[in-house]
Amino acid sequence: MRADPKGGGWYHRAVVYLLFLILLMPLAGTLLYSLATSWSATLLPSGLTLKWYVALWSEPRFLAAFGQSLLVCVGALLLSVVLILPLLFVVHYHFPRLDALMNVLILLPFAVPPVVSSVGLLQLYGSGPMAMVGTPWILIGCYFTIALPFMYRAITNNLQAINLRDLMDAAQLLGASTWQAALLVVLPNLRKGLMVALLLSFSFLFGEFVFANLLVGTRYETLQVYLNNMRNSSGHFNSALVISYFAFVLILTWVANRLNKDKT
Amino acid sequence: MSYVSVRNLQKSYAGSPVFSQIDCQIERGEFITLLGPSGCGKSTLLRCIAGLTPVDSGQILLDGIDIVPQSPQKRGIGMVFQSYALFPNMTVEQNVAFGLRMQKVRGDESQARVREALQLVELNDFAARYPHQLSGGQCQRVALARSLVTRPRLLLLDEPLSALDARIRKHLREQIRAIQRELGLTTIFVTHDQEEALTLSDRIFLMNQGRIVQSGDAETLYTAPVDLFAAGFIGNYNLLDADSASRLLQRPVTGRLAIRPESITLGLHGELDAQVRSHSLLGNVIRYRVQVREVELVVDVLNRSPADLHADGQRVSVSIDPSALREVA
Repeated sequence: MRADPKGGGWYHRAVVYLLFLILLMPLAGTLLYSLATSWSATLLPSGLTLKWYVALWSEPRFLAAFGQSLLVCVGALLLSVVLILPLLFVVHYHFPRLDALMNVLILLPFAVPPVVSSVGLLQLYGSGPMAMVGTPWILIGCYFTIALPFMYRAITNNLQAINLRDLMDAAQLLGASTWQAALLVVLPNLRKGLMVALLLSFSFLFGEFVFANLLVGTRYETLQVYLNNMRNSSGHFNSALVISYFAFVLILTWVANRLNKDKT
Repeated sequence: MSYVSVRNLQKSYAGSPVFSQIDCQIERGEFITLLGPSGCGKSTLLRCIAGLTPVDSGQILLDGIDIVPQSPQKRGIGMVFQSYALFPNMTVEQNVAFGLRMQKVRGDESQARVREALQLVELNDFAARYPHQLSGGQCQRVALARSLVTRPRLLLLDEPLSALDARIRKHLREQIRAIQRELGLTTIFVTHDQEEALTLSDRIFLMNQGRIVQSGDAETLYTAPVDLFAAGFIGNYNLLDADSASRLLQRPVTGRLAIRPESITLGLHGELDAQVRSHSLLGNVIRYRVQVREVELVVDVLNRSPADLHADGQRVSVSIDPSALREVA
């Protein structure tokens, strides 16, 4: 669909690079700031140093928050894999009509603003037999609902692409039990969708702030809550934190992509 | 007693019957085709025999034993699907070996049998490939090998050729028939394509609206359709209502009349005056639409020489072989 390959190509490329530059600028600024000794009255920083990173990565409170974020996210994702995979399987294999209902249900966590649902959750789980507010458990449960739509949609697309019913039927006629068919034939073919869903949910959850702050706050500090609590400390230190966080998600995405590519 | 015997089989979805009172007998080693338009219940019948769809009532006897209560895993039935249903995460070899793996067949024996099955479909060189690296025809041959390797007691083919292009379809259908003959495998083939049914089958069960309308060999079905549906579905019969038929034959006819297009001869010195309305060249056959006594007839003429070609509007004459006339209900 290129009308003028020569002139158009140059123009399109310029737009893309410009967009890329605009998106990259704040990140580059943050990176530079995190590496600067001091940067206040001059156009460029007065010197470069890694001391902010050293300070950050030797700060026990940061390491704890990082670990806790990781734990909550991984916990929530494990829970969603364990619950959603069988659910998807049942919906698509046995009750395809329920898919329409599920599509409405999975949007609910997004329909209610986080602040509103936080208040509801605080009411529900603040006291009584299921008092969980202030513990990581409520975050894991809450994050599960956020991951649900990502997981459900991505894996549904994958399921529709593999012709689930025929694969299951073929496996069963060849002597596989339902479990064997699901584990040996269906699951390996969902790897791609599952990977995409997990990555998407992970990067979203790893950066989640509202629920973490309102439901748990400093009692089980996650990375974003820690960042918020540090807002009055050195900007260089905070920049190092943001860049570290960003680099972590980037590396994770890259590794996951590599793993995904090699195996087909 | 027959090898496969279906007795009074009944199936309905949400209150409306898919088929009812299906009765049929299949002998050992026979190649049977279930032929019918889409929605006639033929695929559902096949899935019921495989055990993939539960039946409401009735019996399916395989070698004298009712298999209705058995799970699909226990029935020893192989099946090939229209969508191939190859496992995308496994190589050709692993796909074919899957059934043996489930039966816990020893490694070396399994390997030998996989090789033998791939040999049968001429795909030995493709053992290490993945399904996405194969063409549609190759995929279906792998699927065939996969269902044969477990030595099924009955082979079911659910429109296995429908997703393939014409040339491959023809080749594969001959290959399927040759393998079936070689192994003496009792086979049920489902299709909506009359040509496939006529060329492949020992016997054809013609189905419509959940009933077996007619069964018999290709010859019988083609030359002696039992009713209007059978005549309309197989061949390109001229179907005339009583009025037109009476006018054409100049004698009273009560029912509907079916005349095969190739049983009418077209020439210059025949019995009935006619005029060519239009013609189309189908290759070895020329299909004419001619007007005879205000009745339009389709006439197929073998395209042997330029003398067989008649221009539109030309006056010709036709002769109708009286023994080829069939009155149908």
